[in-house]
Amino acid sequence: MVNKLRIGAMTRARGKWACGLLALLLTGGMAQAQDLSLKDARLSLLPGDMPGAGYFSLHNDSPENVTLVGAQSDAFKNTEIHMSMEKDGMASMHAVPEIDIAAGERFEFAPKGYHLMFMHRVAPLEVGDDIEVVLRFADGQQLPAIFEVVSPAAMH
Amino acid sequence: MLKWLSPIFLSVLLAGCEDPNWHTSDISDIMPELDLSLMNENGQQVEEDAYIGKTTLLYFGYTHCPDVCPTSLARMTAAIKKLDEPARDDIQVLFVSVDPERDTPARLRQYTDVFGPQFIGLTGSTAQLDALTNRYRVSYGYGEKDENGNYDVSHSSGIFVFNEQGDARLLMRNSDPIPSMVSDLQRLMERG
Repeated sequence: MVNKLRIGAMTRARGKWACGLLALLLTGGMAQAQDLSLKDARLSLLPGDMPGAGYFSLHNDSPENVTLVGAQSDAFKNTEIHMSMEKDGMASMHAVPEIDIAAGERFEFAPKGYHLMFMHRVAPLEVGDDIEVVLRFADGQQLPAIFEVVSPAAMH
Repeated sequence: MLKWLSPIFLSVLLAGCEDPNWHTSDISDIMPELDLSLMNENGQQVEEDAYIGKTTLLYFGYTHCPDVCPTSLARMTAAIKKLDEPARDDIQVLFVSVDPERDTPARLRQYTDVFGPQFIGLTGSTAQLDALTNRYRVSYGYGEKDENGNYDVSHSSGIFVFNEQGDARLLMRNSDPIPSMVSDLQRLMERG
């Protein structure tokens, strides 16, 4: 009887764990930040210590507005939010401290616009690898996501 | 009557100047022929004669540019891949870094190798870079260094295209679709 109870408790615990895993899979790597998700997350990798660029579509399906304030990856010393601009035939780039994404909206990080700038690589990376990048929001939420490492020659 | 006719006459005249078969901008009459003095990926000083004989695309950028430069170069890679195989050997892309402080010849070679055998990295002294950018009426500039020593560089975003004799022919912009670039490159390589 005691044994049976123990088994029952264990099965329930396992079920809970499986449910959690299933939820994690279904939401595409969304663990802490409910209702926030990244789609098409890619890291365009340049050789050596040249900086890489991160592109994705950030979906805010929550009823609250959120503010993206930063990102971090163990493979790079610094990661910043940057924006490229083109005016009168001149291209320039600058850091962006934060980005607001309204409830129900999505925000695109795409070539020649907003991108994560990954600087000073500290781990070996190759095209085809997957790496984890954690996005940070002003309210303390963290959104871990898997970025596929791609060749910049394929990004146009 | 004359007053009414003149705008039409003028527009017909102007339309005559523009070749309707080019999809990107014709710069034949407004930009000078290829003329440069720079350092190549092997650290050697080179002049334009090293690049005469092939259709040449000239682009200004820097390797610490993770977004705009690789995207522009990737567009050129995609366009070149659309050309017939023999034609791909008759075209070259000169990637001129306006950031000589960070872009050593070795780094430029590493960078251009990502995009294909047609890509050649060049850079030079401030005087050499100024001579070239002034010649094509473009500019560049540096942002302030952050605490890690990183800085942004502003640079022109267009691609200057020269025929195999080194005559300036076209300006391709980021807004030009890749099929337009392919069509114009094919036409330029056929007719010069």
